[in-house]
Amino acid sequence: MSKPLIVGAVAYTPNVVTIWEGIRDYFAGSASEMDFVLFSNYGRQVDSLIDGTIDLAWNTNLAWVRTVAQTDGACRALAMRDTDTVFRTVFVARTGSNLGGLDGLKGRRLALGSKDSAQAAILPVHFLDHNGPGADEVELLRIDSDVGKHGDTGRSELDALRAVLDERADAAAIGINTWEAIGREELMPGAFEAFWESPTYSHCNFTALPRVPEERTGPWLERLLAMDWDNPEHRPILEMEGLRRWVSPKLDGYASLVEAVKEQGISARW
Amino acid sequence: MVSHGLVLDLVERVGTVARHGTVSVPLGEGDPEELAATVAAWCARSGNELVEVRGSRAVVRRGRSPDPLAELAPDLVPGTRLWMYTNFDCNLACDYCCVRSSPQSARRALGLDRVRRLATEALAAGVSELILTGGEPFLLPDIDELVTVCTAELPTTLLTNGMLFRGRRLEALRQMDRTQLALQISLDSATPEQHDGHRGRGSWERAVAGIRTAHDEGFRVRVAATLPYEQTHELAAFHTFLDSLGIAREDQVIRALAHRGAADNGIELTLESLIPEVTVTADGVYWHPVSADHDDQLVTRDIFPLQDAITEVRRRFTEQRAQATAAAQWFPCA
Repeated sequence: MSKPLIVGAVAYTPNVVTIWEGIRDYFAGSASEMDFVLFSNYGRQVDSLIDGTIDLAWNTNLAWVRTVAQTDGACRALAMRDTDTVFRTVFVARTGSNLGGLDGLKGRRLALGSKDSAQAAILPVHFLDHNGPGADEVELLRIDSDVGKHGDTGRSELDALRAVLDERADAAAIGINTWEAIGREELMPGAFEAFWESPTYSHCNFTALPRVPEERTGPWLERLLAMDWDNPEHRPILEMEGLRRWVSPKLDGYASLVEAVKEQGISARW
Repeated sequence: MVSHGLVLDLVERVGTVARHGTVSVPLGEGDPEELAATVAAWCARSGNELVEVRGSRAVVRRGRSPDPLAELAPDLVPGTRLWMYTNFDCNLACDYCCVRSSPQSARRALGLDRVRRLATEALAAGVSELILTGGEPFLLPDIDELVTVCTAELPTTLLTNGMLFRGRRLEALRQMDRTQLALQISLDSATPEQHDGHRGRGSWERAVAGIRTAHDEGFRVRVAATLPYEQTHELAAFHTFLDSLGIAREDQVIRALAHRGAADNGIELTLESLIPEVTVTADGVYWHPVSADHDDQLVTRDIFPLQDAITEVRRRFTEQRAQATAAAQWFPCA
């Protein structure tokens, strides 16, 4: 039996324990056993990946971009959720606002989520610059309520939506997962309408460094990809982690974030 | 008009607990029915479960609650075994009888027609074993027919005090299907004192004789002892005695005395503490055989269709477990 791979993940909700215990149990008894370590934030996790404390990291898109920057591109992505390949940012406003698109934000106030959230802060600014009037033309209300977790808790996005309801902002930029979680426009008639949806981009992935050879990650990856939505034993883990199947990473989906990080001068660490 | 913040609160608060954990979310201002409907709609859409609306708050479980039935061992799932009280009268008046049977008790017999129909419907309902009890079933003149209609459908166990295997009753016993029927005979001790102290002078000797008779007639015999809880761990002498009678260890059943019926003391058994075993008497369907003479555990007066009664018992058990789980998680002491 080879040494178990140690996977790092960030504990953004107690449910993370349940999820990773389930994943660990799925690998138990296979040729590629694993265990996990939970971190309180992505900065610490990336440091621990680089210093060898962990073998793999379940990284957000920003954590991936920062790992690439810190390793001069030597790291590799192993897999992501199917939902990670089609992530989007949604711009929403009060129903009837008729903003019509990003240009409608000119001279208005936009609520953003935590500053280290790709979907609710970094990429929205990028989209304003490239698809809208320019971020300088919009007043930004930054709500940094869960910094360190790269927006995983969704809390800052909910706070941004509350700012819109309270008329402290005209619009909010949120991830598609939060938009789905609140039931889009259907559960709160008269509350929100989406007026712009971004192109798709990639979100999380399992990141490895060259120090962990493919002979070790290969069997683990093969086992991961074999997780089956139709298998009742696998299904709860997949449901909790928000995917139907694990897929190969879509690396070109990180291009917009790489560009945004560069343009906004976001540091490579923490 | 529902406060739009309600859905945002739901997303945030449910996100802070682990799977199967529950949170209490304030409903906010607005029409209570509309607020509850919004919570229900959000739960349905998001794969979470609305446990209950309590005053101005909703209790929501993250994910769906585990199925209590799926967590039970297969042989404990309600409806796997069907108990039938054939009658309530008895030749003994045990001082701890859970249904207060005695020679003075009214018979309240289920009767052949109902037993036949129950056996037939039981098979269709997925029951895998029938258990006949009383009272003392061998007081019934048609006990052989009752047993026959049961064993024709399913493996059956007949509970008896074993004291009446003589004359026509012995002949009735001999008519029963040894391949489908097991006899469960009550015996509380390896020596007469304890058994007779509860069941009457001379009853131990006759019960042991009944065990030997049934065994000699080729029946599988289980022996069941009813003991005060504090004695249920001092059984070496009793097991040795039952071994000497040829009773297999897996057929030596020890039950703790229940505080039910005629018993002045014993372990307390409630709806909440008992995993139900569907039990039919002439008066209706009960939660468990130990409570077949107590209205607090009456499920329904309607015996038929049996499937409906089984479904109702399972529904109540599932609901009760879900509420108990939620209550356990919402009992803060500080």
